[in-house]
Parts: sequence; C-alpha cells; structure tokens
Amino acid sequence: MSEAFDARTYLENYDGPDFRIMEVCGTHTHEIFRQGIRRILSPKIKLISGPGCPVCVTPVSFIDEAVYLALEKGCTITTFGDLVRVPGTKMSLAGARAKGASIKVVYSPSDAVKYAGAHKDEQVVFLSVGFETTTPSDVIAVKTAMREGLTNFSLLTANKTMPGAYEAMGKSCDAFLYPGHVHCITGTQICKDMCEKGISGVIAGFTGDELLTALAIAAKKHAEGKPFFVNCYPRVVTDEGSPAAVAIVDKFMQPCDAEWRGIGTIPMSGMELRDEYAAYDARKKFEIPDLKGEYKTACRCGDVLQGKILPKECPLFGKACNPDHPVGACMVSSEGACSAFFMYGGDL
Amino acid sequence: MSDVITLAHGSGGRKTSELIAELFKKNLGNEYFTADDAAVMPKPEGKIAMSTDGFIVSPWEFPGGNIGKLSICGTVNDLACMGAKPLYLTCSYIVEEGFPVADLEKIAEAMGETCKKAGVKIVAGDTKVAGKGQVDKVFITTAGVGVIKEGVNLSGANAKPGDKIIVTGDVGRHGTCILLARDEYGIEADVKSDCAPLWDAVDAVLEVCPEMHVIRDATRGGVGTVLYEICDQSDVGIDINSEAVPVAPEVRGVTGMLGLEPLYLACEGTMVMMCPAEYADKVVEALQKTEHAKGAAIIGEVTSENKGRVVMTTGIGGKTYLPQPGNELLPRIC
Amino acid sequence: MCVGLSAKVISVKDGVAIVDASGAKREVSAELLDDLEPGEYVMVHAGAAIAKITDDDKNETDKLKEEYLK
Repeated sequence: MSEAFDARTYLENYDGPDFRIMEVCGTHTHEIFRQGIRRILSPKIKLISGPGCPVCVTPVSFIDEAVYLALEKGCTITTFGDLVRVPGTKMSLAGARAKGASIKVVYSPSDAVKYAGAHKDEQVVFLSVGFETTTPSDVIAVKTAMREGLTNFSLLTANKTMPGAYEAMGKSCDAFLYPGHVHCITGTQICKDMCEKGISGVIAGFTGDELLTALAIAAKKHAEGKPFFVNCYPRVVTDEGSPAAVAIVDKFMQPCDAEWRGIGTIPMSGMELRDEYAAYDARKKFEIPDLKGEYKTACRCGDVLQGKILPKECPLFGKACNPDHPVGACMVSSEGACSAFFMYGGDL
Repeated sequence: MSDVITLAHGSGGRKTSELIAELFKKNLGNEYFTADDAAVMPKPEGKIAMSTDGFIVSPWEFPGGNIGKLSICGTVNDLACMGAKPLYLTCSYIVEEGFPVADLEKIAEAMGETCKKAGVKIVAGDTKVAGKGQVDKVFITTAGVGVIKEGVNLSGANAKPGDKIIVTGDVGRHGTCILLARDEYGIEADVKSDCAPLWDAVDAVLEVCPEMHVIRDATRGGVGTVLYEICDQSDVGIDINSEAVPVAPEVRGVTGMLGLEPLYLACEGTMVMMCPAEYADKVVEALQKTEHAKGAAIIGEVTSENKGRVVMTTGIGGKTYLPQPGNELLPRIC
Repeated sequence: MCVGLSAKVISVKDGVAIVDASGAKREVSAELLDDLEPGEYVMVHAGAAIAKITDDDKNETDKLKEEYLK
C-alpha cells in the first residue's frame, strides 16, 4: 500500500503563488475553526469566510416579518434556534417572546409540522431559512401538511440558492471551497460550468481529513495555474446530485429575487412557494405588509460576509458585539464567522 | 398510608410522624437519627469539611437513578473533592401535594441504598409539603460533613503548569441522559446517568498521590466548565487532547445529532483531577481499580501559556479554543 | 446549516427511516432516497436523509490524495 500523502504537511509548507480560497458554507466556517485548521495553513494560503451562513444572510426585514406574525397575528413561530436572537429593527424573536409571543425552537421542519398537527388551535409558521440542502426538508413539511389536511401550518420563506452567490463572490477569491451538502443535492454541473468560466473550486466534506485533503488539492491545483474543479467529497456527492430532491423542490417552489444581508439583492437567488401553494405561504396567508428592515450602522456583518474584513477587524467585535449580546447576525448564529472567531479563537 | 402526599403530611402532626416512620426511618434510620430536634455525634478527629446542595432535577427519575440517589452523591462528592471522608448528612424534602407516596418511597429507598454504598449516615431531616403547583414534584436539599484526610490540601487555586489533567470516566453522560428523559428531541438511546458516590476513588488516589493539587466534581456545566474555573482560580492555561477525552458512543451520537459539546454536558459521578506529572500514571491506575472510575484517563495538562483559556488539540493536530462556558452552542439544527 | 450526521438505516417504512448514529436512534424523512435498505449508511440533514454514503472518509481521502497529491 502506498504511503498516504500528508495533506497537512503540504498545507503547512505550501510555498506556491498566493492563494485565496473562499468557503461559502456555515458548517465549513464552523468546522474549520473547530478543527483548528486555520493555524495549519501556510501564510500564503488565505481562507476567507464568505456568505455561507443562511442565518447570517437573512435580511433584517425577515425578522421583522416574523415578529409581526407573532405579535400582531398571534401566530406560533417555529424556528431553528439560531434565529431566535438575531436582532430585528426593533427587537429579536427573543425580545418578542418576552412580550408574550409564542416562539418555539425546533430541530427540523418536520418537527414544526408535527407540532402544528398536535396543536390545531394554533396558527403555526415555520421560519424557512436555508440553502439547497435544507429546502427539500422545508417542502417535505408542506407536503406533509397537505397530506394531513392541516390548515394551520405555513412557511415564512427566505430560502436561497448558491449559484448567484458564487457569481457575486467570484472576483473576491481564487477558488471556492464548495459546500458538500448543497452539491449532494444539486450535483456537480454548476461547479464544472464555473470552471469553464475561469472560476475554480473543490467540493469539500466536513471531517478534518476531508477538509485538509480538499484544501491541499485546491492549493496544488492553483499552483498549477489553470482553472480547476475537483469533487473531493465523492462518497456523498455524485455528478447528478439528488434528482428526487431537485424535483420535489421544483414542484413546490420557484426562484425569486432575494435580499442577502450585507450583499444586497441577488436576482433569482431565492426560492418562494408557487402560487398554487399560497395557503402555505405565510406572507400571502397573513397579508404581511411590506416591511423595510433597518440595519445598525456600526455593524460590519456585510463586509465580514463578503470576506472583505476579518471579524476582529469590525470595531464592535468582542466589545459591543459578542455572543452574549450580539449586534449582528454573524455573531448570533453558531455558524457565523464572528461567533466562530470569537468562540474558537481566530488568533490562536 | 394514603396513596398520595397531602398537606397533612407536612403539618407536623400524626401524618408527619407516620411518613417519617414508614418511609424515612425505615430507609434511612441509624443510631444518630432520633426524634430529637438535632442529631448528636461524636467529635470528629481532624479538620472538617461541610457542603450543601439543592436538587430539583426533572424528571425526578431517569435511567441510572433518581433524585434521591443524586442528592446523596452530590453532597458526598463535594466533600470528597476536599479530601474529606463523608460521614454525616442531613436532608430536607419539599414535596408537592399529590405526589404519589410510592414514588417518594422509591426515592427514600434509593437514598438509603446510596448512603450504605457511600458509607454515610443521614442524621437529621425535615419534610414540608407545598400546595399543588408550588413545587415541581419533589425538591431535596442535602448538607454533609466529612473529616479531611491528614496532609491533604486540595483547592482550585493549586493547579501548576506541568500538572496532568485526569478525568475519572467518560463525560457528559448525566446531561445526555436527562436530555433524553425529557423526550423533547425524538431521540432514543441507551444512556444511563453516571451518578455515583466517589469517596472510594478519591481515597485511593490520595493514597498514591499525597501531592494531589486539584479535585473537582464536574456537575452542572460539565468538565468544560470545571476546566475554565481552574484556569481562572489558578491563573493558568490548559491544553486538552480532544482525542483523549473519553466519550461514550451513544453520547457522541446524541450530541452529534443535536450539535452539543459533550464537555459541557452535566456529569454526576465524574471528577477532574490535577496532579504533578510524575504521579499521573499511578493515579489513573489506582482509579481504574475502583468501582466508578474504571474509565479514568489523562486528557491534558496545565500550562503557563494562553492563561485563562482551554486549548484543544484536534484530531487532525490543529489547535482551537474550547469555547468558554456560556458561549457553547445551543442545540443546532440537525 | 449543520454538520450532516452519518447514520445507519435501521428500518424504512412509508417514507420514514429510523437511523442509528453510534447508538442514538431517530426518525428521519426518507422521501429523497429510493430503495433505502436497512444496513445502508446515509447522510442526515435537517431531519432528512439526503444521500447514501458510499465510503468512509479515510478511504475516500486516501484515494483523493493518491490521485491528486502524488
């Protein structure tokens, strides 16, 4: 058996051309910190945290809409835990809860639909936030609600898709560390298309070994000078992805424009329920007014999300903004660059 | 006796005496447990340590034990952490009106059994009954007294750079067990609480290592919280090898599903010890011979760098901080 | 949105699978995967099994390193 090449040693000693690689997956951000990978990389490799955390890129107006549903319409809001403390214009969901709103943390959309089934006297809204990996679970929840004849379940959607972000961020890096589970759903074609356009990348998994291997391969390919694409997560990601997941999402949802906190509106980068499912679309069902969210001016989440600055370069980092009292979404979310930097010691 | 506890049981009259005789004296009685207002014991030989703890765990019963067993182990272990052989305990019950007598009996039985195992005696007690809804089923407070072993000087402020850090068993089991027992996550796993009295383990260790610096019971907040407390008290840094921290496979499975860190889940029968490096192997060997510390392992060491921080060496040889207590993650999405 | 958890399928019925990760068992949606059999390993995310896992990460990374890093 041949000697296994040591990816770690390669990365530590890399002396090729300067290499900027951007990861766009909240879980990658988190795992890279948690595994202590940043410290292993040679100074010629710059690992940038991009807009990969779905909570972090959710606009302020979304929180405002959820608060409106909770306080003005008396809905029970079911949500992933990370969204509870994200600041809205006036208050977060935690703040709304203190004012008597019914906010319930769930671990999956199917838990939300189960709750709706067990509490038919409550109007249950699930905060549907996530990228391509999570969206199939959201539509499965709607499918379940339909099958069970529930009239008290709906989604407040802020689902997004990655291709628009790849295009928007393409110039900020030399290559992408593509999110393994997004591509488990969508397959590899878009990565190949990006490569044709000169934007390189590798699809990476989530274990320490998978991350080191993917980064080493990316660095080596970059040093070779040509655009590249390598699927470094073949045990889960196939070329065709998951046609079943793509089909079920397509049945229930269609693309729409979406606002990304810190970046602005990226056309056709969001997903909304199709008209025939209006009964499950909380915006239509409850006629939510057009709410324009206001961002705190000193918060530099936007720049952090685009990889323009490191979290510690934001004037609020660690002082006015920390996990106990977060100012921006990047600090609230367990997958935000700021919270990962704070908790796991970006400077170590 | 009636089926359920009523306000009459707490009123101090006939029903109270009945309860004490049939439940408490029967399970906890000993030569010092009298009908007098206070217990009288012989003068102890040496310095004494004293501790108290309140127990409000919900659910009151869980795989591996119940609130009764917990209330004895908690106080016994606190005393053990000072190098004090636990001798006498008091216990006070506050029971909710309507609580089944059969359940209270289960709790008293568990306490009696645990006292025997731990070699301690409950010498005084009190029972109050609160109206329905004023207390959640049963709350127990125990206080305890023990005699400190000669020559022992244990304190959270004694950790020195170079000391090895040892845990007496796998971490996060009690917290995981309670989480599962609350049945909020739809997860099933065979996880028993690690709730156990540890004086034997401490005694064994102090015999082979008279220069033990720190012994701390990891309870609420888990081992991670203890490590940060010691960093603070002793003004040191700590290096942990994450691969060396023992975690039961089912605990890994559950915490993996919920995105939790096992080092921050509660233990109830696991201690953290810090001693000069030259004793570490002997300490682990001695622990592994005792009933409740068979899984003892060295997990890291005390350093003079990164003061106030716990640094983890990860499976791939990377270095990262263990997030500080309070910054650990809420159960995450998967 | 979370580290996908790898888990072994214990049973499948009506689009719902019971999976086991080191002894922790939970129900997940199996709607996205056809022909799921007990004994197979899946990647679970947000309550749904999103893919069958075809290898362990050591084998996978060894093969990748062999192909690209020699």
